[in-house]
Amino acid sequence: MAERTVEDRLREEYFKLLPDIRFASEQLETKIRHCVLPVSRRPDKHEQVIVTSRIKDCESAIDALRRDKEVRKFNQEQPDLYTLTDLKDLAGVRVLVFPEARLHELNATLAEQFSDWVPNHVMDAEESGDPLAFTYYGRLDAVTNVFAEFQVVSMLIGQFWDVEHSVMYKPSPQYRGVARSLEMQECTHNVYRALKEFEKTFEKLIESP
Amino acid sequence: MGTLGRKRELLERGRFKYNFERMIYFNRDARMAFSVEFIEDHDPEELERYIGENSAAKDWCFHFNEQPSDSVKRELVNDLA
Repeated sequence: MAERTVEDRLREEYFKLLPDIRFASEQLETKIRHCVLPVSRRPDKHEQVIVTSRIKDCESAIDALRRDKEVRKFNQEQPDLYTLTDLKDLAGVRVLVFPEARLHELNATLAEQFSDWVPNHVMDAEESGDPLAFTYYGRLDAVTNVFAEFQVVSMLIGQFWDVEHSVMYKPSPQYRGVARSLEMQECTHNVYRALKEFEKTFEKLIESP
Repeated sequence: MGTLGRKRELLERGRFKYNFERMIYFNRDARMAFSVEFIEDHDPEELERYIGENSAAKDWCFHFNEQPSDSVKRELVNDLA
């Protein structure tokens, strides 16, 4: 019989964890919706807060674990080195906020509510200012074997990530490494800069008398 | 030009190509490869110094934050050949 590969073992682990991942995602989304309610129920006309959740699918989780290693390969002789429970975002919640002023308010609220979670913010590779996304990971009381993650991010940037992911990487996961090239990072930085400028200009115009 | 652009230019000038599956920049003639993590963790001046290292070596030189094992190095050499 053929030897089981690291990938085989991880697939088995994933489906054992799946009920907990689903539960973590639902519980985290519920907690976050509760926390943001005071802000999201009184938006101005142009303001929006959208809360979404997702669970990482099996192959994406294995791929993420593999890509996390600098050599992008599992050592098949040491399968015990690898577990999906190392991933920080098996369950994830994203809070999309427009405009930016609200983003900081919501981040402060959530950071206080989840004060024991670990910040793991997403930074722009080219700029050392505010994070692109305020990101935190931790474990929920009811699901202690998997990590969950939440992100508070500008709606424009979050929607860009969704489009980028669905068009380029979801149908062709082998191209995920393209995004880490310096060429693509430069292009992506320019998109972020344009989206931030777009948002700032919009805010400036609607605030002026 | 920003840091990303400066690093990209250095690698282009050194005739490095990008392998998106392995996420490494490599130059077959110089037998040298850089992981993206290594590139991200070093500033352009350091990167320039590494690129300029004597490339007459017979063996491949892998600039990784964590040195790959010998078996992985052999696989990488096969992939990049």
